[in-house]
Amino acid sequence: MSASLFVLPAAIPSSAQTFRWSAHDLVVLGVFSAAAKLSTLVVALAGGGINPVTLLLKNLIFTTMLVVMLYKVRTPGTLVLFVLVNMLISMLLLGGSITLLPSMLGGALLGEAAAFAAGGLLRPWGPVLAVGVYDLSSKIFSLGMSWLALRESPAMLVPVAIIVALGYVGSFMGLFSGVRAVRELRHAGIVRN
Amino acid sequence: MQASSETSLSSSARLPAQGLDARSRMAVSLLASVATIALAAPEAQLMLYAMSLLYALTMRNIRMLLIAYLALLFMAALAFACAQGLHALVPALPAVDFTSMLVPFLRLAVMINVVLPLAFASRVQNLLKALQCLRLPFCIYLPATVMIRFIPTFTQDIRQVCDTMKLRGFRLSPQNCLLHPVLVFRFLFIPLLFRSLRSSEELGIAAEFKGMRADTARRRSRPYRATRWTRRDTLFVLAALAVIGTATLCQLTLSDIPPGGNGMGGMH
Repeated sequence: MSASLFVLPAAIPSSAQTFRWSAHDLVVLGVFSAAAKLSTLVVALAGGGINPVTLLLKNLIFTTMLVVMLYKVRTPGTLVLFVLVNMLISMLLLGGSITLLPSMLGGALLGEAAAFAAGGLLRPWGPVLAVGVYDLSSKIFSLGMSWLALRESPAMLVPVAIIVALGYVGSFMGLFSGVRAVRELRHAGIVRN
Repeated sequence: MQASSETSLSSSARLPAQGLDARSRMAVSLLASVATIALAAPEAQLMLYAMSLLYALTMRNIRMLLIAYLALLFMAALAFACAQGLHALVPALPAVDFTSMLVPFLRLAVMINVVLPLAFASRVQNLLKALQCLRLPFCIYLPATVMIRFIPTFTQDIRQVCDTMKLRGFRLSPQNCLLHPVLVFRFLFIPLLFRSLRSSEELGIAAEFKGMRADTARRRSRPYRATRWTRRDTLFVLAALAVIGTATLCQLTLSDIPPGGNGMGGMH
């Protein structure tokens, strides 16, 4: 057997190198978006209004799903695409406000930039870094949008900020549970790279 | 998921806002969200609210509208109580009174009024057709379609997971969410994660076998029945623009707050 057979086929670009998603990647993105949206919705409804534990759990599930999805699809721009699709569907079906889009999109762009600066999503901690920066920055930007909406009574921003901070704690925990889930899935051979 | 049937309305007399294209509803939703954030005077917000309420009433789902308003009132009352409690604890924090809550409340109510008709008066198929007609890039269209199509399937899956939890003697209730969050996470999330992974693998392979790619999809993707942008849609968007123009005029003439300005102290 010649030695050339052992050389990886560098001429065939993977989706991570071409900035283009395959149909398989896009389907994974759509399925995970639906699952994340619905599972957080179910937890929010089952929790019965705003209670801190439900808030933590909701954000934890969403972030864990996002981390697993990013480990499955490691193409640059996936996070931005995920946010765009989610906001589109939230706007069309679930009554989400379009005013949330700039903050989410800004957060996603910052997350992608952070992952790019750290060597890209193909690095072992690339997806976690992207999601971590996205969570933090989108929550800060969302607070900015809340200030715009509540600028007539800024004192009402205090409870909003507490709720957002609690949500962020859940998201932060979700990073660790996401890494743990990916480790298990890799062990089971479901997440390969 | 929440899409209601338009067909049930077809037999009765049609209101002006019924039978509108999903794209015109989306455009009005976008315009309303920008206008309600930009305008700060109570008179302008009241104008926007009155007109958006008329639009919301055309969906003829008063019960849903009332539920949404009750949820909004509950959230506002909660925020008000929190702000009052914090003011009592830390007097340095500014106090909140009912008049200062009027404009933020109206802003949220306007958004509810324009988003509910979009979500509940459009069928899922119409939304998918609207997505196709919007000529969205393939990388947005395919995940969005998969997401819309899979929401009912996942709802069924969640129901099955909840039934299985009941078999194991665990109910998904607020009490359990509060007392046993780790169990809720394990029992609800892990099956859903595996289900998502399996579905995405199967669907992804099917999509690749069918040769779905960005270049082929652009040629082949034709809506089965193209939605039509009618004169009624144009009039609807023009009416929305006129309402926003009138609200801006209200702010300029009746109030001392410029459009987009901070509403601090602008309450009369």
